[in-house]
Amino acid sequence: MSASQPQRTSAPESSTGSHTDATPEPALTVGPPKPTERPHPLTPFVRGWLVFVAIAIGWGREIVSSAGENQFEARGLLWILPVLAIVVLLAGIAGFISWYFTRFVIDDEELRIDTGAIFKKSTKIPFERLQSVDIVQPLAARIFGLAELRLDAGNSTTKLRYLTRSKASRFRDYLLTRAHGHQASIRDLDQQLVAGAFTDLGAGDHPLVQVSPQRLIASFLLSTEWLIPTAISIIILVSTVAFGVLPFALGALIPLLIGMLSLIWRRVIGMFNFTLAESPRGLRITRGLTNLTSQSVPINRVQGVKTSQSLLWRPLGWYRVDIDILGHADSDGENSESTASSVLLPVASLDEVQLALGRVLPGFDLDGIALYRSPKRARWLRWFDFWTLRYGWDDRTLITEHGWITHVRDTVPHAKTQSVRIEQGPLQRLLRLADVHIHTPRGPVNAVAHQLDNQIARELALSQLDRARAARVAERQHRAVEMVGSDDLQGEAELLARFGTSRDDILGFGGESEVFALDHDRVLRIYRGRHEAPQHTAAQLRSLYESWRAVEIGIELPLITDTGEYNGRFYSVDQRFSGRNFSSWLQSADIARRRPALISFLDATECLQRLPSPVPGFSRLIGDGAPQQFGTLGELLSNMLLGPLQASRSRLERDVPAVGEVWNRLHGELAQRAVAPAVVHGDVCPPNAYISQAPNGPVVTGIGDFSPHTLNADPLMDVAGAVIFLELEPYADAPADAAWLEAVAVERHGRDIAHWIDVYRRYYGFYFSNAYAVDPTLYAWCLRQLSR
Amino acid sequence: MEELFAPPAYEWKRLSPKYRSMRILTSLIVPPIIFSIPAVIVGVASGRWWISGLIWAAAVVIVIIRLAFVTRSWRSWGYVEREDDLYITHGVMFRSLIAVPYGRMQLVEVESGPLERAFGLASVALKTASPETGARIPGLPPDEATRLRDRLTELGEAHASGL
Repeated sequence: MSASQPQRTSAPESSTGSHTDATPEPALTVGPPKPTERPHPLTPFVRGWLVFVAIAIGWGREIVSSAGENQFEARGLLWILPVLAIVVLLAGIAGFISWYFTRFVIDDEELRIDTGAIFKKSTKIPFERLQSVDIVQPLAARIFGLAELRLDAGNSTTKLRYLTRSKASRFRDYLLTRAHGHQASIRDLDQQLVAGAFTDLGAGDHPLVQVSPQRLIASFLLSTEWLIPTAISIIILVSTVAFGVLPFALGALIPLLIGMLSLIWRRVIGMFNFTLAESPRGLRITRGLTNLTSQSVPINRVQGVKTSQSLLWRPLGWYRVDIDILGHADSDGENSESTASSVLLPVASLDEVQLALGRVLPGFDLDGIALYRSPKRARWLRWFDFWTLRYGWDDRTLITEHGWITHVRDTVPHAKTQSVRIEQGPLQRLLRLADVHIHTPRGPVNAVAHQLDNQIARELALSQLDRARAARVAERQHRAVEMVGSDDLQGEAELLARFGTSRDDILGFGGESEVFALDHDRVLRIYRGRHEAPQHTAAQLRSLYESWRAVEIGIELPLITDTGEYNGRFYSVDQRFSGRNFSSWLQSADIARRRPALISFLDATECLQRLPSPVPGFSRLIGDGAPQQFGTLGELLSNMLLGPLQASRSRLERDVPAVGEVWNRLHGELAQRAVAPAVVHGDVCPPNAYISQAPNGPVVTGIGDFSPHTLNADPLMDVAGAVIFLELEPYADAPADAAWLEAVAVERHGRDIAHWIDVYRRYYGFYFSNAYAVDPTLYAWCLRQLSR
Repeated sequence: MEELFAPPAYEWKRLSPKYRSMRILTSLIVPPIIFSIPAVIVGVASGRWWISGLIWAAAVVIVIIRLAFVTRSWRSWGYVEREDDLYITHGVMFRSLIAVPYGRMQLVEVESGPLERAFGLASVALKTASPETGARIPGLPPDEATRLRDRLTELGEAHASGL
């Protein structure tokens, strides 16, 4: 290796040959010429060998399959040998040319691969676009200590072959570091451990699941996919031999045998020594007997999980796990031994499956999901497996199950749902049954809730759309925060570690903060952004909560026990509310349980009015210059609207006809409102409420998250908010429940409050209108309020 | 029954009546042409024209069945643009209702083949990251098709979310 290369100066495996020349060749990209290097000089030989093997296998198969018809004569095939030699020679020459004209650069600035003798091609991949970097070692390359680097970016895969093993794994580590957005220099990576010929685990890798060869082979022999063709072959063999007509059956037997061989190749040889490991750069899979493949699992691209169990695996408690990964378009569940695979675990015990699923779907509570059976009458259509049909969901995932010979469970996170389809054939119509398909990107996962009752099918499909929408919005907000920068994420991870928790314990997140569980009594709230505002708000909230500590109003209130700053992230430790989040509870409750709970939600909202305000009169309790007092309700609320309107004014003028008139009307109406001021939470909505089990059923027992909207103003604002924000909940009957709750509130407080609820609809419509950029659902809701 | 495939609180928009005319025409023409090829070959080759007669009779039966279903099939199509998603329903024997969230649309295509153009029709196809989605609305007037495409593209951008 020449000294002109900036990357590294020593090649540990230089015994296999040195890089001849690294004279800078003009690259296609603009800029000063940079020293580039070629792949390993043994590359053409390895590739030539692979061509030879491919031809040999192809020919071999031809000979075997034609053996049945005509007499096989070895001598007649001798002429093939010189032809074969010429083909291999030509392939070698082509390989040499291709190697000679391949140059690549991997340094601190760029990743570029130039190829082509006549038609030059230069591929430059931005580090951030790299989705995974895999190392593949085909047998021939492995013998020479070489490896192929496979770079996945977008929908294209770029291969760089062959490099010495040490170099390949060093590049892999470097590229993955860069792909995660971390700054690193390739010079720093010299000391790392490198992939070996038999395993490929770096120093920081910690194996999660290892599949022993015994178990792999046993599971294979017991798998349905193997037993069925075996049984068929044996039946054919026995019956044809018994009748003495074996030659006639060869036509059927040979393709069957070839299929079985390729199954062995994929399932046993390809999955040999399967290890799922956790590396500092995410999950990594290494596998293969002849071809050693090392593949990273991009967690954020996982679209769904399929767990399957063959009939004979059941007594042994074994499962197989496949995942949908976005962009692995060709992965239909069966992958060749060296391409990127959708297999997460070829065979594993329940504990190992749960361990792996915890990494792939962090923070999901898959066991807590109640599964429902399809109705009994489904047996007329699915007589072969009607008792296995199940489906269920919670606020983050949907699960469907089916199958008896191979039991399959598909898990789809709501945020990954693409579209939903209800299907019904003529027989199903007679039985009033329908199927609901949840579409996910291409891959092994195919979630179908089979044979549901008509009405349930429709509810499931429509509510799934709502859940998917809510999950998308949440994920988008989450991502917007992650975009802040990986340094922040790093800081957050350290902060979480300091409190002995991790991202897996996330309880929820909103526009301002993320909340993580610490223990039974406390949660950690990490505020978004690095600016002063959240710190200020939290300090104000802390003293406000503190002042209410001695006040008993009948519901739990928030309490901040500690605030601080770590690594530039501002956090607070809050008292944990008892019970469950009301919003997620609503999604899983039926109407008979929802309605009493909603009444208790209204009761809890009204309790808030009893809180003492730190200052008298209409005032703003949180924010810059707070407490800030105003003469009238109208003045206070106009002041509250100033900020949001500044941002959304031009949008509203476009989207709401006669918005000026709506604005004037709102002010006119607010001026007429005569009321004594009381504490207004400002954001009483199910995500901020907590529900616990009481003797007579579930009851809302706490309201948290007083926000920058906290005021001393019209107490009806919270009653109105409790009613109208309910419309934004992501379950199907939310609008109906909101209308019902409004009727309850009107019955309680008198006819004329219906009018004031409408007034506050417009107020909140203006107040949240600056959400147009981040939350289209909320913005659409605002437009509806303003156009009423 | 109807309620399973009804749009939630909206009215279905239906296809252009010209689409029915087009389907009637194709039902009348396509099966006889397809069946005539084997019928003529059999007749010429074997001289047993009664076999050809049977094949033609089969073609006539198929034409009648298709004509009987054309109106129902045309009427079974419907679509509706909701706030956050597009619903499409169709099917007489095998019914389906598909809902595609605007935020998931990756591509909206307007297609119009020569026959559709002759009838003044176009179809709109929606693609998401899932190959199973397969949402397509045939038989729209071209104005409506382009309006729908522009509207869906606009909504798709407004609701867009990563995968």
